[in-house]
Amino acid sequence: MISFDKTGKRFGTLDAVKDFSLDVRDKEILGLLGPNGAGKTTLMLMMGTVYRPTSGSISVDGFDVIKHPNNVRKLIGIAFQDARVDGILGAFDVLNWHLKMTTVLDKEERAERVEQVLRAVDLWDARKKRTWLMSGGMRKKVEDCKVLAQRPKIAVFDEPTAFLDVPSRLLMWKMIRELRDQGSTVIVATNMMDEAERLSERVAIVNRGKLVAIDTPEVLKGRTKGGEVLELTVDDGQEFPRGLLTQFGEVQDVTQNENKVSVYLSSGRLLLPKIVETLTTGGIKIQSVHLKEVTLEDVFLNYTGQNLE
Amino acid sequence: MSSSTILAKTSSDPTGQVSTSGLVWEMARRDILTLFRTPWIIISRSMAFVIQLFVFAYFISGMVVYPNFFQYYAVGSVVAMVASISFIIGYDIFEEAEEGLLDYLLTLPVSRRQFIIGRALGGAIRSMIYIIPMFVIVAVLEHFANPLSILAAVLDLFLLAFGVTGLSITMAVTVRSANRFDVTLALLDLAVTRISVALYPLTYLPNYVRLIAPYSPVTFASISVHDALIGTSLNATSLAGLLAFVAIFLVLGATIYFRRLEGGVYG
Repeated sequence: MISFDKTGKRFGTLDAVKDFSLDVRDKEILGLLGPNGAGKTTLMLMMGTVYRPTSGSISVDGFDVIKHPNNVRKLIGIAFQDARVDGILGAFDVLNWHLKMTTVLDKEERAERVEQVLRAVDLWDARKKRTWLMSGGMRKKVEDCKVLAQRPKIAVFDEPTAFLDVPSRLLMWKMIRELRDQGSTVIVATNMMDEAERLSERVAIVNRGKLVAIDTPEVLKGRTKGGEVLELTVDDGQEFPRGLLTQFGEVQDVTQNENKVSVYLSSGRLLLPKIVETLTTGGIKIQSVHLKEVTLEDVFLNYTGQNLE
Repeated sequence: MSSSTILAKTSSDPTGQVSTSGLVWEMARRDILTLFRTPWIIISRSMAFVIQLFVFAYFISGMVVYPNFFQYYAVGSVVAMVASISFIIGYDIFEEAEEGLLDYLLTLPVSRRQFIIGRALGGAIRSMIYIIPMFVIVAVLEHFANPLSILAAVLDLFLLAFGVTGLSITMAVTVRSANRFDVTLALLDLAVTRISVALYPLTYLPNYVRLIAPYSPVTFASISVHDALIGTSLNATSLAGLLAFVAIFLVLGATIYFRRLEGGVYG
């Protein structure tokens, strides 16, 4: 298990992570969902012993990251958001060297393992091409493959499908799930809602260095006021009278972001005609109406008060 | 492996412990191999050395009143070249930090001590490989054939290379601005190699240089290499100076490296 206990990281006067507490269970896929700059990468680098926490503690499989960093490093494999590879090397050499450093596989076993992952992600034919000559998507695959080939006890992926096309994204998700099935605990940092929802068993929402919510995507969505969202687009510059809608018992909350109004409610279909009539009578000009079930994006908006993308 | 499975299971346990020496060597080997991927650097530097030796050194030897100045200059050039080349590792590490590659390297199961020793070792061995052609040219020209003398000289050069890589790594993690780092390392390279007795005897140096030159690591190495190759003896004082230089900068480099990187300088 990985435990963050009131962990903090301060860079100068900036708290990149503050009072962050979280337990990651063995053999789960945990999604760390947050916008750029939320502190996800800092959390991972502290866990990976690159940065030292300035407050609190982190333990990985019982090893404290400050007291026993070498033990922690033996357990972890991190695939970074941007490929961190020797540009002068080809994909095969990058992965082979990574396995040499992180495993005790012999030469033949390493070659077999590398060939397997490179074939899986369709990079075998380009295995000798220097990585600095590769496209962003190819380099990203090489980065992810380091951890997929290593199969560490704790696998960390930072935006694993950034720059990848749709088929490659689906494949990468499948491979990450298989990694978990083979016994790894997986942490996926992402700012993509669908990735967090489809890949993770639990999602931790991180904002401004703090943990704001954690649970399964279903529970997080269920917990969000009402279970449905009515999205209204009103004319620019109109002050929206929240009180007109909060008079309905089924309406849990109303938020406004410029001319977009989100009404969190239950029984939306039944209430929709009443709401439209009330607003129209109140002089509000409605441009569009869209009723939908709560998504992870709404959950994020609800917890943080801001859009993720 | 089932038909729907992409990652095949293996019977090997991949999470065992790689030996400490194995990890240090792999870190060193990585730096050494970068040299062989760009062999033209060795070729061009060797050519420049040959021109320097056969044009400049011959020319100036005729003007200087000093017994066998050509030999003095040739041996000193190799020493100065080792120092100069050993600075390159600092540029590599600075670039890795800027590109984020260093973060990756620091997540590998290598202790910080192993990491810095591996890098310094790699940088030093790389420098030694680099100067082999130049050393051979000088040895042939000056008829240095005693294996023990050559071995002692190589040891001196290696110690110098090891210490300068430590100094270079220390600078790479101390100076944060790229421009400032380039200027600092270039000046340091000039200072270490030129404010020394490698190329010109102490008595010929200006007074203000003569005050500092005896304490330069390149001076220690120069005296030691000259004594080994020409005097066929070991100069204990110079050797001790070199060892102190290596120890100070490796420990200093490792300490600063450890504190600054884990403190999140590159965050």
